[in-house]
Amino acid sequence: MTAAVAELEDGLGTLAGTGKLLRFQLRRSRLYLLGWLAGLAGGTWMTAASFPGLYPDAEGRVAYGVTVNTPAMRSMTGPVEYIEAYGESTGAMFAHQMILWTGALTAVMFLLLIVRLTRADEETSRSEVFRSNPIGRRADLAAALALAGIAAVALGALMAAAVAALPGDQGASALLFGLAHTAIAVVFAAVAAVTAQLAGYASSANGLAFMVLGWSALTAGIGNAQENWATWLSPIGWAQLTFVYTPEQRWWPLALSAVVAVLAVGLAFALVTRRDFGIGMLAGRLGRGEAKPGLDSATALTFRLTRGMTLAGVITMLLLGAAYGSLMGGADEMLEGLSETERAVLDQGGSSIQENITATFVALNGLFAGLFGLLVVGRAGKEETQGRGELIAAAAVPRSGWPGSYLLAALWAVTIATVTAGVFLGLSGSASLGDWSYFSTGLWASLLQLPAVWALTAFAFAAYTWLPRLGWLRWVAWVWLFVVLYFANLLDLPEWARAVSPFEHLAKYPATDVDWLATALVTAAAGLLTALGYAGARRRDLQFS
Amino acid sequence: MNAVIRTEGLVKRFGHVTALDRLDLEVAQGETHGFLGPNGAGKSTTIRVLLGMLRSDEGRAELFGADPWKDAATLHKRLAYVPGDVALWPGLTGGETIDLLGRLRGGVDKAKRDELLERFDLDPRKKGRSYSKGNRQKVALVAAFAADVDLLLLDEPTSGLDPLMGAVFNECVKEASAAGRTVLLSSHIMSEVEALCERVSIIRKGVIVETGTLAEMRHFSRSRLRATLKNPVRGLEDHAGVHDLSTDGLDIECSIDTAALDEVLAQLAVAGIAALTCEPPSLEEIFLRFYGDELAASGVPNGEPK
Repeated sequence: MTAAVAELEDGLGTLAGTGKLLRFQLRRSRLYLLGWLAGLAGGTWMTAASFPGLYPDAEGRVAYGVTVNTPAMRSMTGPVEYIEAYGESTGAMFAHQMILWTGALTAVMFLLLIVRLTRADEETSRSEVFRSNPIGRRADLAAALALAGIAAVALGALMAAAVAALPGDQGASALLFGLAHTAIAVVFAAVAAVTAQLAGYASSANGLAFMVLGWSALTAGIGNAQENWATWLSPIGWAQLTFVYTPEQRWWPLALSAVVAVLAVGLAFALVTRRDFGIGMLAGRLGRGEAKPGLDSATALTFRLTRGMTLAGVITMLLLGAAYGSLMGGADEMLEGLSETERAVLDQGGSSIQENITATFVALNGLFAGLFGLLVVGRAGKEETQGRGELIAAAAVPRSGWPGSYLLAALWAVTIATVTAGVFLGLSGSASLGDWSYFSTGLWASLLQLPAVWALTAFAFAAYTWLPRLGWLRWVAWVWLFVVLYFANLLDLPEWARAVSPFEHLAKYPATDVDWLATALVTAAAGLLTALGYAGARRRDLQFS
Repeated sequence: MNAVIRTEGLVKRFGHVTALDRLDLEVAQGETHGFLGPNGAGKSTTIRVLLGMLRSDEGRAELFGADPWKDAATLHKRLAYVPGDVALWPGLTGGETIDLLGRLRGGVDKAKRDELLERFDLDPRKKGRSYSKGNRQKVALVAAFAADVDLLLLDEPTSGLDPLMGAVFNECVKEASAAGRTVLLSSHIMSEVEALCERVSIIRKGVIVETGTLAEMRHFSRSRLRATLKNPVRGLEDHAGVHDLSTDGLDIECSIDTAALDEVLAQLAVAGIAALTCEPPSLEEIFLRFYGDELAASGVPNGEPK
């Protein structure tokens, strides 16, 4: 037998059992895949279905295009080439505003999928059970990538179907839109396959892959804002550079995705046999042998464990606040481009469009800041069921300290996130209006949302302490508040449905005057929910998974 | 007797499952008490009730004479706990975790902590996520033994430790006991309990089926007797205290009630004894007696091994 044949057989041997693994992984991941695919394609379909109604005439779309043709807005949407096609193609408008976001979500779906199926399984020693079977060293990775490939094709097909009815087709545009998402999916699956070999742990493999995603969003944003080559550095940018649904539509930028994916997959397969099971190429670094003096209470621990979420909240709200603020200057023109329904959503009874949209934006900011409070409360549940809470509960800590400190951490996270959103809404609004008096308006309006944000957070905590097994309850509450905020005017929701939302009771400042009584009452409601939450924490058993 | 732990008629239900079914447990001050039972018998549930993590449905539980549910935080200053399956914070190092747990109890004795790290051969600079099961266990053990407390609640603390570390653990428990600490050691490793515990409680399906010192337990159970005689002996099988007698020429073997030893040995001495061994029952044999029916149900013929 020649050396070449031996090498080939060795190569194939490392793939033994891939088919079996693939079937197993498919079964295990079906909920994950169904959830993500339905969410991505469903959300895209709903948005695509609403676009023609929202922007029926070409003049309206062109006028709207003028307002979003600023560096700040382009950095959060897409290249200027799409904007130039707004008039002739609703699809171009849709693709311009969506690809960055659906692309980023696609990336998240696939990088999490790959790390889940490879490194995370090694850490829980699930795949040890398989490795002991006649299964090749590369079979894990091959099965995971094959599954990702199938999912990527499915996603592309669903995305194409979701936008099939959009006006402005330039020749198989829907197919290209779908294929662009398949390309993003494949690239990030391949990237995660590499980071899964490099990183010391599953969590750092995710972290590295997310850094690549951050890089993609950043370079696409810079390139689109400055209208320069930076977009070409971004896998999401390549999808945008197809100029799908515009007259300049082209397919070849996706070839870049294919090349990068192939190279990354090759690298991952080369690395996987060069590392040990359960250990990455980059060894996990050693940390401190002793704790810092500050780590001396359950509350200190809670704040340390949630600081990443809090930071994510601050950064998200900084970007969101700045983005909303940047719309202030062009708001008058934007109003002209809007449909009746959109004006109805924005009308909060103020004397100017700026006042109206500020009142809406600060409520949205509050709701989005509240998301991070919900995440922090969710962390308390994880600590509890995964058994780490037991170590704290057995120490000299009252129940108000653990799990009680998670309410404190959640309130801190939502407060600082809301304040950050307010500061950057004020700053960027002032800059876009050229009028610094807006700074205090924007900030003050944001701060006035705090009682409602606190009430939402305290509700989430009370739900956690009284009904620990119903973790989804807080998300239902959040979605409901979102529906009330966004669609109350459109859907003619009954009075009681609106009354549930604390945001509805606060005055629509600056569109209306501050209603101090309402502010006091919502704050009191937040206080009551807090007391209820602590009472729940004191009375119930700890949950063990 | 001054009881550190006392439960009376303790009942804990999870939905339809009754985990503790009128459990009575008493551990005196300064005693190292073995808490024996297989998985699912209710050991961890008992300890979690004693820690105030679970609220009992009926009956009473007392820790240092106080209610572990109401006074949890105050009582926890006086105790340290090692769970059977230690989960650590993935981002915190072992050293950070040990210091945090120590500080939550009022302070860390650094010299003691470093000495224990040395003895358990544990690198405190590794992150929680990179420790193996045994090393996670060591983190909790170092934190517990370094604590200046009156009571140690150890729930299957040696699961995942290698025999070398098991020996270090035994040393540490003996030192704690010598320092006057009360220890409740839940385990299903008989040799460990035999080596460390003065008194033992055996739990089965949420009930304490036997409690006492090892000597007392042995007294009420049978020893294994083997002898080679010089002359045949007669009438042994009629003795009420002799069981499972097998005779092979001059070699005899039987189980024998401790109370019958005097008479039977006298009878053998008359026949003349060439060789004799008499083993008291091991804790394992005592333990298995209480689970004989379950073993029979799973296809093991006889409650006693061999």
